[in-house]
Amino acid sequence: MVERSNAVIVGAAESPYSRHPPEGTTTESLLADAFVRVLEATGIRREEVDGLGVASFTLAPDRAIDLAWKLGVRPRWLMDDGNGGASGIQLIQHAMRAIDAGDAETVVLLSGDHFTRDDFKALVDDYNRTTAQYLSKIPHGGPNALFAMLTRQQMEVHGLERADYGRIAVAQRRWAGLNPGAVYRDPITLDDYLASPAVVEPLHRLDCVPVVSGADALVLRGPGEGIRIRALRALHNYDGQEGDGLRTGTAEIAGELWRDAGVGPDEMDVISVYDDYPAMALAQLNDLGFVGDGDLSGFLRRRIEEEQLPVNTSGGQLSAGQAGCAGGMIGLVESVLQLQGRAGERQVEDARLAVVTGYGMVLYRYGACANAIVLERP
Amino acid sequence: MSARVFVCASCGRAVFPRRLLCPDCGGREFRDEQVETATLEDFSDRGQVKLGAVRAPSGPLLIARVEGDPRRGGEVSLDEDGDVPVARA
Ligand SMILES: [Zn+2]
Repeated sequence: MVERSNAVIVGAAESPYSRHPPEGTTTESLLADAFVRVLEATGIRREEVDGLGVASFTLAPDRAIDLAWKLGVRPRWLMDDGNGGASGIQLIQHAMRAIDAGDAETVVLLSGDHFTRDDFKALVDDYNRTTAQYLSKIPHGGPNALFAMLTRQQMEVHGLERADYGRIAVAQRRWAGLNPGAVYRDPITLDDYLASPAVVEPLHRLDCVPVVSGADALVLRGPGEGIRIRALRALHNYDGQEGDGLRTGTAEIAGELWRDAGVGPDEMDVISVYDDYPAMALAQLNDLGFVGDGDLSGFLRRRIEEEQLPVNTSGGQLSAGQAGCAGGMIGLVESVLQLQGRAGERQVEDARLAVVTGYGMVLYRYGACANAIVLERP
Repeated sequence: MSARVFVCASCGRAVFPRRLLCPDCGGREFRDEQVETATLEDFSDRGQVKLGAVRAPSGPLLIARVEGDPRRGGEVSLDEDGDVPVARA
């Protein structure tokens, strides 16, 4: 049992995602916008902010301290985190302990990226040294080809067809239609999904996240009113990139997570899993214990399609967009909004408990980072 | 023609790419092992280029550029283009 943090999440906000942001948009302008919006949402004054954590791929060479300076914040606690899809929960893991220990009282966590076409190519080719040395010169063209192999393997092991993955894409698009902030909101059918152009078989366009520019923000504070953190667990590099890639570190931590939280998958009102590809969203739902009997196809048909299990209710990255490191915070922001009853048309009635996963950092073959958090509206 | 994998000088564990310390014993020294043939476990066709997951007999899985007419589960011969493993079907 890990000691439960007394910190609470008091607010969440998003700087709108955009495929083609206005001229003059920069990573720091998006992060600043998310910062201003989260202060507005919480009524917290800038002078009260004494902790700042930032996750971004494209802020470099600037760091959190540059942002603190330009935002006019004087942090007693300051942290950079570049762990992509795991960065949001990673930042919370540190921030909540800083608050517990008294290092800071009001911590703002920011996450976001602005991409031009060149920025994105540079990011995927120089993602890490291993990619630059061994993959970019193949040329591998980014992660799609790697996740195409993982998806094909998952299809083979579990007897899945493309239409099974389509149920995730269609369901998330339905949620996106209720989220004014999603970049793709028009409903799609299973036929639309199946007919979308191939990217790398078996992946087609609607299996791949639209790259967007945008930013997300959270505010954490000490004990008081807010969203409580019932459990948070992480395990990174659990298999040294030597597994099949379809069982993520989440599978290793799920038991501890639910035990710490004192609740189980069936009690979750809102679920956010990191959805860089439908196959990985499905892998994490399975790792968390949502599938139970291991029948992934039946789960997708019954729980996702028919029962409309509230998974990635913002539309997720597949429909709302992937704004770089903000992909590690989008599920947290959505879950906090749901638990606060501020999710607008897509509000899940009386949402009290949520689980969010982080996943990512493709070191060589698949994501190495995994973390998960259970949130509660008291 | 061959491609390299890296073998721990202390315990013989093979890895690819090279690590800083051996995952098994923590050893710091690795020697090159030349691998001439391997099994193509899977591949992705990007159009102009194919990417494959290639299993060396000593264990490591290499992501390689695949040339020729690949078949899943088939044997490939290995080569290198700079640091990039090349698998010929
Ligand atoms: Zn060794």
